[in-house]
Amino acid sequence: MTQFGKILKFELKYYIKNKVFVGVTVFLVLAIAAVMFFPRVSGIFTKNKKSESSSELSVMLLKTDSPELTELLDNAFGEAFTGYHVQTTSDSDSAIQEMITSGKAECAFVITGMTSYTYYVNNLSMYDQNTSIADSILQNICRMSAMVSAGVPEEQAGSIMSMEIKHQTENLGKDQMQNYWYTYIMIFALYMVILLYGQMVATNVATEKSSRAMEVLITSAKPASMMFGKVIASCLAGLFQLVSVFGSAILFYSLNKKHWGDNPIVASIFDMPPGLLVYMLIFFVLGFFIYAFLYGAIGSTASKLEDINTSVMPVTMLFIIAFVVVMYSFGSGNVDNTLMKICSYIPFTSSMAMFTRIAMSTVPWYAITASIAILIVSVIGIGILSAKIYRVGVLLYGTTPKFGAIMKAVWKA
Amino acid sequence: MILELRDIRKSFGSKQVLDQISFQAEGGKAFGLLGRNGAGKTTSIRILMDVFPADGGSVLIDGQPINYKKVRIGYLPEERGLYPKKIIIDQLVYFAELKGMNHKAAVKAADYWLERLGMAEYRNKRLDTLSKGNQQKIQLITALAHNPDIVILDEPFSGLDPVNAMLLKDVVKEQIAQNKVVLFSSHQMSYIEEFCDSIAILNSGKIVLHGDLHDVKRNYVRDRLVVRTERPENIIADFGKRCEQIDDCTLFIQLAAPEEKQSVMQQLTSAYDIDEIKVFEPSLNDIFVEYAGDKTDKEDRQ
Repeated sequence: MTQFGKILKFELKYYIKNKVFVGVTVFLVLAIAAVMFFPRVSGIFTKNKKSESSSELSVMLLKTDSPELTELLDNAFGEAFTGYHVQTTSDSDSAIQEMITSGKAECAFVITGMTSYTYYVNNLSMYDQNTSIADSILQNICRMSAMVSAGVPEEQAGSIMSMEIKHQTENLGKDQMQNYWYTYIMIFALYMVILLYGQMVATNVATEKSSRAMEVLITSAKPASMMFGKVIASCLAGLFQLVSVFGSAILFYSLNKKHWGDNPIVASIFDMPPGLLVYMLIFFVLGFFIYAFLYGAIGSTASKLEDINTSVMPVTMLFIIAFVVVMYSFGSGNVDNTLMKICSYIPFTSSMAMFTRIAMSTVPWYAITASIAILIVSVIGIGILSAKIYRVGVLLYGTTPKFGAIMKAVWKA
Repeated sequence: MILELRDIRKSFGSKQVLDQISFQAEGGKAFGLLGRNGAGKTTSIRILMDVFPADGGSVLIDGQPINYKKVRIGYLPEERGLYPKKIIIDQLVYFAELKGMNHKAAVKAADYWLERLGMAEYRNKRLDTLSKGNQQKIQLITALAHNPDIVILDEPFSGLDPVNAMLLKDVVKEQIAQNKVVLFSSHQMSYIEEFCDSIAILNSGKIVLHGDLHDVKRNYVRDRLVVRTERPENIIADFGKRCEQIDDCTLFIQLAAPEEKQSVMQQLTSAYDIDEIKVFEPSLNDIFVEYAGDKTDKEDRQ
């Protein structure tokens, strides 16, 4: 076995025997199992509860001033708000408010005319759509009565009102709505694993240096073998954890697929194309290498373990900025903006930026190839540079040297 | 086997750390590399081990440039340390494998040395559960397990109790008997005197003294007398500046030339009440202070 192979084996053993690593992986798999099996287990209870549930719907109060409208509105609101138990009331406004604040009713519509009403609710939710539903109910009623009073027969007015527009969307690229959740999860997984394992590489190197194990190591193995051995071992450990988590999620979902039924978010997550997983693998490995090499090089310049946190800050910041840019563009829905396009070719950001664009938009093959090629070349370049910094860094004790001094020493070495 | 460093030069930035260093160490003999802190010992050792290249000069084995793939080197660094949280046998095998052994041979060698140094019971324990002295022994195993041709021991006796020091002495003698090149670096001169046949003293990156230890001592100028007397004041009064009082009863008398020895001795024994008189024979410690001390120190002594 080559020296590199021996180092890789030794470092991998460190992860496999590490109780925290094993514990976290097992915990994540169990957590995923718990989530995936939940509908199957909880289904036993929900079957019996279903009949009771209609009486447990939240109460929506409805008050109108004109008695002739009461029945009409009661029917219309009852049909439109299926999630509520709609109750008409003639109580005073203050009594209605009292009922809402005390929790007896969730909300109330006090109709003050054909075109005006007051909506009472205790806490207005961000996603509260009730007023727009009420608006369209009232609009329909107004239009109907206007048409009827203009001499249009009621049947004809009804058919005019219920006229439906048929449309269809031909999506030539990707459906962002459908890709949203799994892309979101994948970017987050990339971010977490690169950050966690990258920092582990830095700590690992600094520990060897501060415990002086480096004194023997540096005379036993080539710095490049040591650097590559460590980085690839932690990359494999990270990959193992990713595969365990994603693999168990896919496995447990397929076991419980029918129990999840029509949940659109879950279905869309597990509907990810296998090609995207391949891209994730490529961008994870390359992105990981870039950052892990940098973390390793920085770890070698720190003399004490407690210096590590401040030393790695610039690299961590760089990575967080990349993440924020990607998440911002991702959230805005415009993943092909100029900033993202530029970031797709910068090695420090391209692993996340290009991956997001591939997942959420249509990127030409030559752009993907160029981005991956730049990443590969950068990985090799940064790998060599890091091994050189490592060789110089591990022998420097005392205060953490300045960046310029290290680069000068590397240049001379 | 003869290990030779020839005209080694090394600078870090603008600071010249090694300036035309040359010395030879022979197989079957121990060689002492001496020098004060910062004299360039560790840098010399690192160049010898190919941790970094020299700016000039060469490392030779039997007159040929060293082939690091063929020549195995074992190193006990002054700054001790291994993996504190890892199992002892795992790290011993790892280091032996890194030095080129296969797994099976590495396990066998590690077990042999654990047994040899009385550490077998700690085989499957974590390093940080051991006492400092025992950790030192584990570190020694990492230097010896792969059966090196050249053994470099930097301050090997520091931190060892007398019993462990005896054990280490036996191990070092074994290594010498196996015809290996044993290179010592230490500030404990008694051990150097005990083991080393030849020495080199480094001062500010230069070799200031190099050669066979007995020759070095023999060649030392015999121009000082050691005098023991109950009444030193009389001698001090007569000899003045040539006389240096060491303690209440002991004096050093500086001779103008070694040939003056006889006459001054006769003069002293006839004129004063002398308990003991002899020519001053320097210990290695004295030689070290003489050559490795600052120029100002030397001038002060002279």
